[in-house]
Amino acid sequence: MIQLWSVAAITFKEGLRNRAMYGISILALLMMVANLLISSMIMQEVGKVAVDMALSSASFAGLLLVLFVGINLLAKDLDRKTIYMVLSRPISRSQYIVGKFLGIALLIIVSMALLSLFAAASIYLVKLNTPGYFPRFSWSLVGLSLAFNTLALILLAALSFLFASFTSTSFISLMLTIVAYLIGNSINDVKALVEAPQGAGIAPSPVIVKVVQIAYYMFPNLSFFDIKTQVAHGIAPSGSYVFWTVSYGLVYTSLAVAIACAVFSKREFP
Amino acid sequence: MIKIVEVSKQFKEGVTAKRVQALQGLSLEIGQGEVFGFLGPNGAGKSTTIKILINLIFPDSGSASIMGIDAGDKTVRRSVGYLPENPYFYDYLTAEELLWFGGRASGLAKGVIRQRTELLLGKLNLLEARKRPLRTYSKGMVQRAGLALALIHDPQVVILDEPMSGLDPIGRKMVGDIILELKGEGKTVFFSSHILSDVERFCDRVGIIVGGRLRLVDRVDNLLAEGATLEDVFLAEVAKAGLKEVF
Repeated sequence: MIQLWSVAAITFKEGLRNRAMYGISILALLMMVANLLISSMIMQEVGKVAVDMALSSASFAGLLLVLFVGINLLAKDLDRKTIYMVLSRPISRSQYIVGKFLGIALLIIVSMALLSLFAAASIYLVKLNTPGYFPRFSWSLVGLSLAFNTLALILLAALSFLFASFTSTSFISLMLTIVAYLIGNSINDVKALVEAPQGAGIAPSPVIVKVVQIAYYMFPNLSFFDIKTQVAHGIAPSGSYVFWTVSYGLVYTSLAVAIACAVFSKREFP
Repeated sequence: MIKIVEVSKQFKEGVTAKRVQALQGLSLEIGQGEVFGFLGPNGAGKSTTIKILINLIFPDSGSASIMGIDAGDKTVRRSVGYLPENPYFYDYLTAEELLWFGGRASGLAKGVIRQRTELLLGKLNLLEARKRPLRTYSKGMVQRAGLALALIHDPQVVILDEPMSGLDPIGRKMVGDIILELKGEGKTVFFSSHILSDVERFCDRVGIIVGGRLRLVDRVDNLLAEGATLEDVFLAEVAKAGLKEVF
């Protein structure tokens, strides 16, 4: 256990001190300021726009964090052979992967907590100026959306671990993670489209339908975690939706990390 | 202490997955308290042998053990210190944090880690730089920090891959003094090097590996008894193996 936590601790520290973290924080801050400016320029639906923008800004900054800080924390260990220093300790490959993942998950949670503060501050200020536009607003729904977003980012980080376990460079891991993110966010809509194409006036071939169906079950369905639009309209998801989404996120994350552990335990580091 | 029996290893290279024989039937035994120098031209199989001992790569056949425990068993690494060739550490951690990690991961108590950190960083002249991020270190400083990390848990067996690489004469002396100190403490030291004068100074025995085969293992004093230098012996072994380009 000590071995696992010592890997998690150095991963968290290394990530927190990365210069990219400052850049991402400043970008998030600027986006929140932009939220205030844009909200003061529009004449209607101010509440919905402010909530949607604040949550989208936090979500985008979190994505940058996973792609440019999180992935590097593992992939650069392999690129630069820093992994030698870790694996020469009495640490198993699985302990290394789980420890590294815990460090990155902690980094995502802490960063998202900070980004959530920015988001909440910008919503609060807009609400203070235009309270009439927030009739169905709920802070708990904003919190739920940010928590879902955090879970989706942790899932994405787990997926990047899976990719890093069988690729040779950090660049390939990054590309695969971006592709998985794009597919994960759109697969729900694409599947609905190819399975009921009449509405869109298209006729996809059976092969394409099959490919989309396979992708649907292979890639994580990240759109489950995106409730920004509902939150902006003040619509609460059902208790069962929250339960199944959280369970889906945790199970998918655990599976991805478990497969990464299995692949790593067979991998050589020449 | 260290026992390698009939170890062979092949690597696949390039897109055609061409097989390259890195080690061929390598057997070697190193006793407790011995300082063993491992010599060979570039690509001879020195680092491959070391990485098999650290379990970074797995042998295709044969076995490797340290203190009677298989090299694949992680518990053996509580007693082993390893310095990789051209070590690279985390950019934003300090030397103090690096040693804290090494100590904790090896199961040391916090008080012991503090004590050992002070002692090792003092010996390696890194005390003043201990709170600086490692990315601000020179190559020699990184090498010395790596040696401190290898020794933080006071291991019985120390395996060093090119420990003198990138060091200036002062750094080389520091590392040399530490190797001699380890020898005095009865620790087993296994190191690869291209600097033959260092090998002559520190080692009880040397092994010369060429093309993945161990060509010679003997005591340094035996090899030098007839007035030959270690360089003569090394070049003769390489020539015998058919690598004439060294001349």
